[in-house]
Amino acid sequence: MSASLTPARPGRTLPQANVGSIARQYGIAIVFVALVIALCIVSEPFRTQANAMNLLRQNAVIGIMACAMTFAIILGGFDLSVGATAAAASVVAAKLMIGLDGDLPVSWGHIALGVIGGVAVGVLVGLVNGFLIAYVGVNPFVSTLGTMTIVRGLMYVWTNATPLFGVPFSFTELGLGSTFGIPNPFWIFLIVAIILSVLLSQTKFGHYVYAIGGNVLAAAEMGINVRRIRLGVYLTTGLCAAIAGIILVGQTATGQPAGALGYELTAIAAVIVGGASLSGGYGRMTNTIVGVFLLGVVSNALNLFGVSPFWQPVATGTILVIAVAIDSAAARSAQVAR
Amino acid sequence: MTAMKAQQAPTAQSGSGPAPVLRAIGVSKRFGAVTALEDVSIEVIPGEIAGLVGDNGAGKSTLIKILSAVHRPDAGTIEFEGKPVSFTSPAEARAAGIETVYQDLALAGNMPVWANIFLGRERTRGRRLPLLDKRGMAEEARRMLERFHMNVPPMDALVASLSGGQRQAIAIARAAAWGSKVIIMDEPTAALGVAETRAVEEVILGLRERGFGLLIISHNLDQVFRLADRIWVLRRGRLIGMRRRSETNPDEIVAMITGAELVARTERAQ
Repeated sequence: MSASLTPARPGRTLPQANVGSIARQYGIAIVFVALVIALCIVSEPFRTQANAMNLLRQNAVIGIMACAMTFAIILGGFDLSVGATAAAASVVAAKLMIGLDGDLPVSWGHIALGVIGGVAVGVLVGLVNGFLIAYVGVNPFVSTLGTMTIVRGLMYVWTNATPLFGVPFSFTELGLGSTFGIPNPFWIFLIVAIILSVLLSQTKFGHYVYAIGGNVLAAAEMGINVRRIRLGVYLTTGLCAAIAGIILVGQTATGQPAGALGYELTAIAAVIVGGASLSGGYGRMTNTIVGVFLLGVVSNALNLFGVSPFWQPVATGTILVIAVAIDSAAARSAQVAR
Repeated sequence: MTAMKAQQAPTAQSGSGPAPVLRAIGVSKRFGAVTALEDVSIEVIPGEIAGLVGDNGAGKSTLIKILSAVHRPDAGTIEFEGKPVSFTSPAEARAAGIETVYQDLALAGNMPVWANIFLGRERTRGRRLPLLDKRGMAEEARRMLERFHMNVPPMDALVASLSGGQRQAIAIARAAAWGSKVIIMDEPTAALGVAETRAVEEVILGLRERGFGLLIISHNLDQVFRLADRIWVLRRGRLIGMRRRSETNPDEIVAMITGAELVARTERAQ
């Protein structure tokens, strides 16, 4: 009556797949915890509360970008323009906070205007990327590389490549202050991470991001509006880049046309270290967050051990390659097993 | 000529048995200078399997794409449940109850079984903040699959980890799950081994028992004779004829597919 549709050896293949998927799901977290414990034992400066707060503060900006980047990577794309967008948001926000004519007294209205202006920059860049990728069909690499260089270039032209000073000092509370002993940028990161995590794993939008990343033809055939979801994803990365840029203003009290340089690649690296696949369809928000702090802790440790900062990209690159190599080897052996 | 015309509407006037749920009447389709279909009529009857056969390029794919509203016919009409319809998109045809299972299956391998069953039809709970009802969907998906006598995989298993037969069964079960009345299948067992082919055929026969109207394209004549109640033969965009399985044999169908029958018939007419 019920013909067998199970694989030939269900008893053997299924538990294996489970071990593999558990290792994939939690492997990065295990590595992270082990690293933190080891560093706590080895390094006295590492295990101080001040250093912990430092870590939370330093990684908030990359963390916000990486959480949004997770959507783009699961979708099967990525967004190279987030660093440039953050810089542009910081310049526009600073300009508006200072007052465009420069001699008006700074008010809360200016600060609110600055934040709104910064966010608007992110939305605008996200709209351009999303329109090009979803509606025109431009490859995400080309599209976001283009907006990255255009936006960065425009900021250099506008500011003559010099930082904008004069942001009201009270605004640094956002970047340098703390609430309940926890740095404010980390609170912002936490709120963004929780919202994006729910969006990714509990809503139709996030569900469709996985579906499109896994099989775009199937998604389209089953009536999912692929264009709208793609546009939404690049709006998310643009918006989060802008939030990151506004935090940068709060941390330095300046608008920085050259700020957040290369952050897009660190954010992508964090997502990939967290186990997401660049070919789309796979990735988890919690693992991205672990990836962010794994890279952050390593560079923090190198600092504390007095290693030249020039070594930091070497470390980041090495972790990235090792993480991807392990994942690829696991995926290949899983395929062979099947 | 008159003999062929009579064959094109074999059951409509006969009055016996259930009325067709889906009909194409005199459908033609051209792509530029190429005539893909010329005056083709075909019927799908509830509780029966219609087998659509023909050589490569005979127009089988074009015909099912017209029936599932991927293409629109240049001439002729489509009737669904006795009424003429003109769907503007596959989504509309699907919403009305015409499901199509293509060879690519339209499954997302990176997603669990339940998510594929519900793909594009997800359920949410909570009105102000609509969140996915994952547990509810998984339970419902299990019940849907169990209805088809199939050995049900775990609902949380990723579709990429399943066998080809399981994937096919999930695609077919999904097509049958949403109040559909007609299921069109393009080569449902093309990529499967012998045992899995039989298992999928059992699922298809189960659908016939449940009263679905089924239309199956297959290159495998043995399979057509195992499954189909009526066999419709296309050749070079024209309907050559329909045969009841009980009144024909593979030799005759092969002759119709290759054109030998047509030549003989034309000679006789002259």
